[in-house]
Amino acid sequence: MSANEPVKGAKTDGTDWVEKIWDFLTSLKLVVLLLLILSALSIAGTVIEQNKPIQEYYRFYQPGTVALFMKLGLFDMYHSWWFVACLSLLALNITACTMDRYRGIMSGIRKRNLILDEKLSKSLQNLTTIRYALPLAAVEKKMVELAGKGFPGKPVVTAAEDGGSHYFFEKGKYSRLAFFMTHLSILIIFLGALVGSFFGYKGYVNIFEGETVSQVETRAGKIQKLNFQVKCNTFHAEFYPGGMPMDYRSDLSIFQKGKEVIRKTIRVNDPLTFEGVTFYQSSYGGQPDQVAIEVVNRDGSLKGSVTAPFGQKVAIPGVADQVEAADYQEHFHLPDGSEGGRAIGVNIYPANGGPVGLWLLVDHPDYDQRRGGDTYFRVKELKLKKYTGLQVNRDPGEILVWLGSILLIAGIMIAFFMSHKKLWISLRSDNKGRSELTIGGTANKNRDAFARETEQMIQNLKEVS
Amino acid sequence: MTNSLLFGISIFVYFFAMVLYISYLAFRSEMLGKVASLSMLGGVVVETAAIGMRWYESYQLGIGRAPLTNLYESLVFFAWTIALIYLVLERKFKMKTMGAFVAPFPFLVMAYASLNPNDIQPLVPALKSNWLISHVVTCFVGYAAFAVSFVVSILYLFKAGSEKRSPKSAGSFWDFLPSSAALDEIGYKTIAIGFPLLTIGIVTGAFWANVAWGTYWSWDPKETWSLIVWLIYAAYLHARITRGWRGKRAAILSIVGFAATIFCYLGVNLILSGLHSYGGAS
Repeated sequence: MSANEPVKGAKTDGTDWVEKIWDFLTSLKLVVLLLLILSALSIAGTVIEQNKPIQEYYRFYQPGTVALFMKLGLFDMYHSWWFVACLSLLALNITACTMDRYRGIMSGIRKRNLILDEKLSKSLQNLTTIRYALPLAAVEKKMVELAGKGFPGKPVVTAAEDGGSHYFFEKGKYSRLAFFMTHLSILIIFLGALVGSFFGYKGYVNIFEGETVSQVETRAGKIQKLNFQVKCNTFHAEFYPGGMPMDYRSDLSIFQKGKEVIRKTIRVNDPLTFEGVTFYQSSYGGQPDQVAIEVVNRDGSLKGSVTAPFGQKVAIPGVADQVEAADYQEHFHLPDGSEGGRAIGVNIYPANGGPVGLWLLVDHPDYDQRRGGDTYFRVKELKLKKYTGLQVNRDPGEILVWLGSILLIAGIMIAFFMSHKKLWISLRSDNKGRSELTIGGTANKNRDAFARETEQMIQNLKEVS
Repeated sequence: MTNSLLFGISIFVYFFAMVLYISYLAFRSEMLGKVASLSMLGGVVVETAAIGMRWYESYQLGIGRAPLTNLYESLVFFAWTIALIYLVLERKFKMKTMGAFVAPFPFLVMAYASLNPNDIQPLVPALKSNWLISHVVTCFVGYAAFAVSFVVSILYLFKAGSEKRSPKSAGSFWDFLPSSAALDEIGYKTIAIGFPLLTIGIVTGAFWANVAWGTYWSWDPKETWSLIVWLIYAAYLHARITRGWRGKRAAILSIVGFAATIFCYLGVNLILSGLHSYGGAS
């Protein structure tokens, strides 16, 4: 970059500003600053837990702090305007640097200095001259063979003024493109993320066994219609003897126009994709289907019983009260804080007076006795309806993210482990029929390794006889 | 279990290797150096057998999984990769004096690992994936490369300091170390190995997360910290390649990078919570 043009007044203030902004955008300072700012912000995001329900924050912070953090977007900082602004600036910086380097890299690929002259010799590594008591043709043949081991392509031969020849070998010139691969890959990944967030959705749906859905609720809280129906045939959760989860699986069917088009059992790590929408095994649960409730006298004799469909008010034969199984908890917390297990929330509607709400513990049938009175209630049997919880995704940008990732890895590999190597050899013969060979090389990266390679080649050339 | 016995033996072998490398630095006898390298190699061989045995024994228990799924297993694998990478570098750069500073790591990491529960647990559904091995192996070989770069960078700072104080005094302790230029170069080379591996580790992790949870990036603390580590080393590489940052500034960045690496590896599991919680001590 030759930013300091000596001609005064040749540029207007306008272009000066453009240049200043350009210099800023392509400066190393900006890169390092952005990388460090992004790191620092990311650290903040792991210390302040993100996207928790608001009540959780009040448990950890003062109300004033919560309000301030809310305003600053610190509870969802990776989507806050200032974090996105930093990412955009990084994207802009990468774009500017890529444009800035474009010409230099392309000319580095194209530019070929074919003749080993004095000026070039000064810039080369391992510059060596070897003299042979051999005719030129013999040396040339041997030389091309030896150099060909390191440089498989044919050399470019240029006739020299003194009757000799210059040989130019090169290898790996396209490794210079690694710069574009690594930097453009980041932009492609960003683009993929953008496409995903604008044209895709992430949603969630619970499907009861035997039931069918045709829409899901997205994270943004919208209802997303599907072009097909998804049915959960069965759900199974299996556990190891120690109680650790072993396998969660849902047998799903996809229906389109009333016909089953796909049936697949999905597991964690084995989702189902149909028309760009993917269903992931995410959670599971149960909801009461029917609850058998008994009314028991103080002396232990049965006064009445009923099987109540969940959520319906039903009469109990022989008892004046009506009952409704209205709520369910898998892990009920007793007033003393201990775990009470499965519990049914029941509303009792006495013949006279207002309804009474109470919890019945499935695994402790006599829990309701403590209320006192002539009778108490207990759950005799609970029939659960199982459901599978599916994460539902549509992400048309995903392919770009993977493309960018592969490009990034390939680019980094090339950048670190390949280099553009050039080797010059010139041959001439003196008037006594002896030959003289001059060799020198250069590489744009890993110079030490290349110097060792060249040294070996020079050794081999010296041994030619 | 045979694997526990073998791991126990490897701790002792690493301990001897450490003592021998330190003695080599103190007495500077070629013989000691050879024995030190051999015992380090012995430690790697025994530990390789232990890892293989643990894998085999998991099949005998009817569980059948790669031994890379909890804190204990990741620690022993981390120790193994550090020892292995060190041996490769020792051979390549022909310098054993670094051994006194690197060899304590496999021993200490193994000793710390032995404080954690080491029974072979079956896999939870999320970990049952073909991505497990490639994700964990690339990440940890990357971490180990950063660990070696960290040690070399610290040595660089001492060595450069001593070269500055007394450029020509022979016989001082630091003279026995490689030159500061060589240390600087090794510090860079190891990062050049670690960075692509960490990149592959993050990408395979993202791919796996997408298959398991339907999201390739969720800003979970582990993901975020791996990105922080990646950003720090990216800054290091940019500063070094485009602006020729060498020596002290590069060494300090490498040390900061490794501090972040250790936090990403252990700190996140022990302090923060998230999707990788099963990799922790809980």
